[in-house]
Amino acid sequence: MKPLDWIVLLGTLGFIVIYGVWKTRGSKDIEGYLKGDNSMKWWTIGLSIMATQASAITFLSTPGQAYEDGMRFVQFYFGLPIAMVIISITVIPIFYRLNVFTAYEFLESRFDLKTRSLAALLFLIQRGLAAGITIYAPAIILSTMLGWSLTITNLVIGVLVIFYTMSGGTKAVSVTQKQQMAVMMGGMIIAGIMVVSYLPANVSFGDAVEVAGKLGKMNVVDFSFDWDDRYNFWSGMTGGLFLALSYFGTDQSQVARYLGGKSIGESRLGLLFNGLLKIPMQFLILFIGVMVFVFYQFNQPPVFFNEAAKSKVYGTAYEAELQQLEDKHTALFEQKQQAVQSMVTALKAEDDAAVTTAQAKVSALTAAGKEVREEVKGLIKKAAPDAETKDTDYVFISFVMKYLPTGLIGLLLAVIFSAAMSSTASELNALASTTVVDIYKRSVKQDGDATHYLNASKLFTVAWGLIAILFATYASLLDNLIQAVNIIGSIFYGTILGIFLVAFYFKRIKGNAVFFAAILAEAVVLYCYYFTEIAFLWFNVIGCVCVIVFGFVLQGLIGEKRSLDV
Amino acid sequence: MKDTHPVDEEAPISKPPFFKSWAGMYWLVLGNLAFLIILFYTLTKIYE
Repeated sequence: MKPLDWIVLLGTLGFIVIYGVWKTRGSKDIEGYLKGDNSMKWWTIGLSIMATQASAITFLSTPGQAYEDGMRFVQFYFGLPIAMVIISITVIPIFYRLNVFTAYEFLESRFDLKTRSLAALLFLIQRGLAAGITIYAPAIILSTMLGWSLTITNLVIGVLVIFYTMSGGTKAVSVTQKQQMAVMMGGMIIAGIMVVSYLPANVSFGDAVEVAGKLGKMNVVDFSFDWDDRYNFWSGMTGGLFLALSYFGTDQSQVARYLGGKSIGESRLGLLFNGLLKIPMQFLILFIGVMVFVFYQFNQPPVFFNEAAKSKVYGTAYEAELQQLEDKHTALFEQKQQAVQSMVTALKAEDDAAVTTAQAKVSALTAAGKEVREEVKGLIKKAAPDAETKDTDYVFISFVMKYLPTGLIGLLLAVIFSAAMSSTASELNALASTTVVDIYKRSVKQDGDATHYLNASKLFTVAWGLIAILFATYASLLDNLIQAVNIIGSIFYGTILGIFLVAFYFKRIKGNAVFFAAILAEAVVLYCYYFTEIAFLWFNVIGCVCVIVFGFVLQGLIGEKRSLDV
Repeated sequence: MKDTHPVDEEAPISKPPFFKSWAGMYWLVLGNLAFLIILFYTLTKIYE
């Protein structure tokens, strides 16, 4: 990194943190600290909701996902707009009427204290784990790419977030997220323009999209149904809907964003703003990944994107074998480059037969290239058994570091840090508010004054921040990072959503029935996770449906009168 | 002590912009989803 990159990176992050602290100083009670004195306008809420969901993982993993698997991941978000409408109609009015701080408060008024505590606890477990990954994911990649210490990188992200989140609470989170979203989207749009501008002179933008299509990357929508397929239209519309309902309707890190609204109208509009823009935003990020893929059809990609992991082979008995594989990779790339150029020429000439011939040749060479990459991964595993052999999360950052000019590297790193900080801030704020409101204030100390709970909220923000940093420091790399976060979410969200759906729509089911139904449902989801091949998005549906069905059955068995007595 | 924080005096919205009722906004969001799915499906078919 050059000095200009450091200036851009530190200047951007420093400005956002200082502005956030200055703008939101002086909260005197938890009403201001945890709900921002209900002063947020709709565009602040909307941007804050989007920034909370868009973690660094979104910007690191998603382009890599598109590079490897094409555009189909966008279908994961198809259920989101429907969820925004449902929450706007049903959930927001109830939360406003009850004037709650957290989503789980509502459960006590509907059921009982133990159901409220169970839902809060499930949230604290899954969000506490996710907060660690939210810090760890960019830290491991940045520390690997830049040669920084993992612990220092974790600490920089964690301490900056703790500083302004502890200082200004919910309002600081939302205010900083406006700037962070501007940095994120500005940086990604510039990166997208740069990658297209780096294509060969004879390859237009239209040609690039055609090449991507011919190589199977423009697979945006797939209507075929397959239980084991993670991303198709049906899993997006059902599993994605349930996940979005649960995430936006019951996850305190999102609920807190719209509970700080000036009115029901502001909150609704903020959510609907997200419903309109989320899919185009994800499409853009995936499309940038596809353009990086096209770029690497004309420029030789590394045989393995995680250079640090690959370097572990050097100096071992496998080094010569690696060199042979690298030579093979180069030879295959040169043949493929020629075939892709032939394809571009054929596309321009509208010669379908030549396009088909070139397409078949490129596909065969791509398959051969994949085999070489698999062999390289095997060598890395032999030379360093603990090394990470999945490199999709390194595709985009590797491109940024190698090809973007000085200054823009700093900006793109600011994008990743901003994303990490924005989602972590929301998580810490939500973890603190749930701990204070649903556990500490409700079950531990009920007679404290406003200052006491304000200080407790700040203390729990710091405590959760330290736990997240600790988890991030000792976590080991999980499969694909964005999937890891979604899998953890899916394991718990279905059950939490089931509890809330029963609360909203099934008045016959009472506290005891829903409490034990939730425990059984969580056991079923955990069984599915450990012992079946069911795609994780379906866990949201399974957990939710199980709570409702078990709730009905248990209510029928134990009866309303007894359920009230226990 | 004087409060030095900027105070937003603008009234909170009760109705959505451009529409007479919230139903219009909801249909806009769902219509946008339908439009995007059709657009993406068309892109998939054109470039496959």
